[in-house]
Amino acid sequence: MRSMVTKPLSRRGFLAALGGLATLPAFSGSTLAESLLSRQALEDVPLFVSAYKLENGDYGVGVVDDLGQVLARISLPGRGHGVAISPDRTRFVAFARRPGTFAVVVRPFQDVEPEVLTAEPGRHYYGHGCFSADGKLLYAVENDYAAARGVLGVYDMSGRQVQRIGEIETHGIGPHDLLLAPDGRTLVVANGGIMTHPDKGREKLNLDTMAPTVAFLDSETGDVHSSHALDASLHQLSLRHMALDGQGRAWVGGQFQGPETDLPPLVGVFSRDEAPLLTEIPTGIASGLQNYIGSVTANASGDVIATSAPRGGQTLFWKADTGAFLGAEAIADGCGVAPIDQGSFLISDGNGALSLVGDPTQPAEILARPPGISWDNHMFALS
Amino acid sequence: MRRLLFAVLAFGAVTVQPAFATDYEPKLDNLIETYIQPQTSAFAETTAKLPDAVRAVCSTADAASVETFKTAYSETVRDFAHVHFLRFGPLLDNDRLSRLAFLPDPRGITQRQIRKLLASEDKDALSAGTLKDKSVAVQGLTALELLAFDKNSAVRLGQEGKDKAFTCGYALAISENLAEMAAEIAEGWQDPDGYSAVLLTAEGGNERFHTSKEALESVFNVLVTGLIIARDQDVLPALGTGKDKAKATRFPFSRSGNSVVYLVGELRGVQEALGALDLMDLTPNDFVWIYNAVDFEFGNAVGLLEALQPPLRQSFEDGDAYDKVTVVAITLKSLRDTIALELAGALELAGGFNALDGD
Repeated sequence: MRSMVTKPLSRRGFLAALGGLATLPAFSGSTLAESLLSRQALEDVPLFVSAYKLENGDYGVGVVDDLGQVLARISLPGRGHGVAISPDRTRFVAFARRPGTFAVVVRPFQDVEPEVLTAEPGRHYYGHGCFSADGKLLYAVENDYAAARGVLGVYDMSGRQVQRIGEIETHGIGPHDLLLAPDGRTLVVANGGIMTHPDKGREKLNLDTMAPTVAFLDSETGDVHSSHALDASLHQLSLRHMALDGQGRAWVGGQFQGPETDLPPLVGVFSRDEAPLLTEIPTGIASGLQNYIGSVTANASGDVIATSAPRGGQTLFWKADTGAFLGAEAIADGCGVAPIDQGSFLISDGNGALSLVGDPTQPAEILARPPGISWDNHMFALS
Repeated sequence: MRRLLFAVLAFGAVTVQPAFATDYEPKLDNLIETYIQPQTSAFAETTAKLPDAVRAVCSTADAASVETFKTAYSETVRDFAHVHFLRFGPLLDNDRLSRLAFLPDPRGITQRQIRKLLASEDKDALSAGTLKDKSVAVQGLTALELLAFDKNSAVRLGQEGKDKAFTCGYALAISENLAEMAAEIAEGWQDPDGYSAVLLTAEGGNERFHTSKEALESVFNVLVTGLIIARDQDVLPALGTGKDKAKATRFPFSRSGNSVVYLVGELRGVQEALGALDLMDLTPNDFVWIYNAVDFEFGNAVGLLEALQPPLRQSFEDGDAYDKVTVVAITLKSLRDTIALELAGALELAGGFNALDGD
């Protein structure tokens, strides 16, 4: 597999290397030097990572700052999706979109080539993953498609080369997003419930019988602490993307596979030992969302949750402790959402814009729109 | 929308499907020949006049040279507005679009960078050859506007002062850099082996597209993005959250008094480009009404904008200017919905990267 890669940068090298970088096509759009120079504390500049598609059809993953300026672009062998960020924030892993089989380990602040991982035979990636608390292990959400069961591939990230050392069953079909709980040991996996097989592309094979769950797994033993399903009437609500709130509960966004005319709840709150709670989206908004939540993200303190609904061109905001609906922001084709700080989110969209939302009652501020880029489904805070 | 989709599905169910897929190449060919090539050529010709206009006003800043510069700048902004939304091929190559105009820039990155550049009298800013390797923000029309106009939209380029020589040298480098890029874009679109070949060899598949329909969808969606930019990026920030919080300085090219020129240019541009795709004969009869509705709404939006009194920095708080622009924003939303949902639905075109193809 070919890894098409731009030269990675040391963080300090961002500044020092600018003269050279400006001549590289991948970086020539950057206003990096000056925009960072004008700041007081370089080390505090918030950075974000998102997969993208270029107008010429190429795919990659980009690093942007909090002014929406693209600082680095790393080409990917195919369409990317989610990104796992190491606890020390020095590296990230960009996963292929399902049913892709590559994952790329990037050390954006070191002068080293990214490492390309390839899924085991009989497995493909689902597009998400996370690191262990100590950063030594990576858990990648994978499909054991012959057995139609979800697994977490376990990768040792501590050596010179990444090695797959085992796997953990997710106890469900079609797992999608994965989080590490605040205890540092429990893994939370959203088993989306939809069976697919790479021979049939992205075709959904079991919509009548799908049974999504959110499972809490012991990362050390693989045991299931608990597994929560919704009411049988909601078995076609594929539970897919998640974020942890300040209390350690998983907020989960769903995509409904049932009749288009239904308006089921789309956002729920799951915790290990309690029954799931479902939030209510005001009807006037719910009817325009096409029953589809794209990303789920918490702000820095975990007291506000953002859930994007790209098919409705809306991002919804929730008060985490009460589950109250705080409002919605209209952003066309907006899907990626990352926290900037306690009070604001950066939202990326398929039309290339990066928008700042600090208050859902005010219009979003479009910070930048790098030409030729369509931001893909998810964005993550790198620092 | 849901009802409309059902209507489209029902229509599809009773229509005899053609034996072969539609070849959209003639549509793309028409767009290139009757819109993109003439408009990028016009942009190149207009921009080519900028360097002489800068030289003249920097040599003797009299009423005639000031007026000539203002006209040259304004016409360049107008012709840029006719092409900036063509965010594919030659406008993207070598980062040309960002280098032509650094937009949006709500946090004033350009101003900060230019201030530093002026303070250090950075010699690399004095020739187009070295300027083009600097930050994209200091290279284009938006940088030239900051240099050449004061806050009240008067031309200050060429005025006597200690930094006149450097500012004039830098402005000349920008104008030459702009002229070079505009010429490259026009040449790129004239080149039969350039991006037009990518669009026109899509049927049957090429390295970029699987079908000519996919190529048409990419172009169609770029035009929709143009409307999103016009409303969300160019109009809404100036409207703010209410009349008392309006910010005319947030209109693009407000400093030079060219906001109306730019907004009208991009709306007329998207309208004409859409017209040049000539999709009427592919549109089911039930949806042919869309074309008249769209032209009517474009006409309304442009009429409202042309009734404003530039420069908007001075007039936006007067009379009903704010209300007019509010109606423009509503009209642009309606246009976007009509084109992106109803027309795209009627033509069975796919749109919306995340909306269409999430996971």
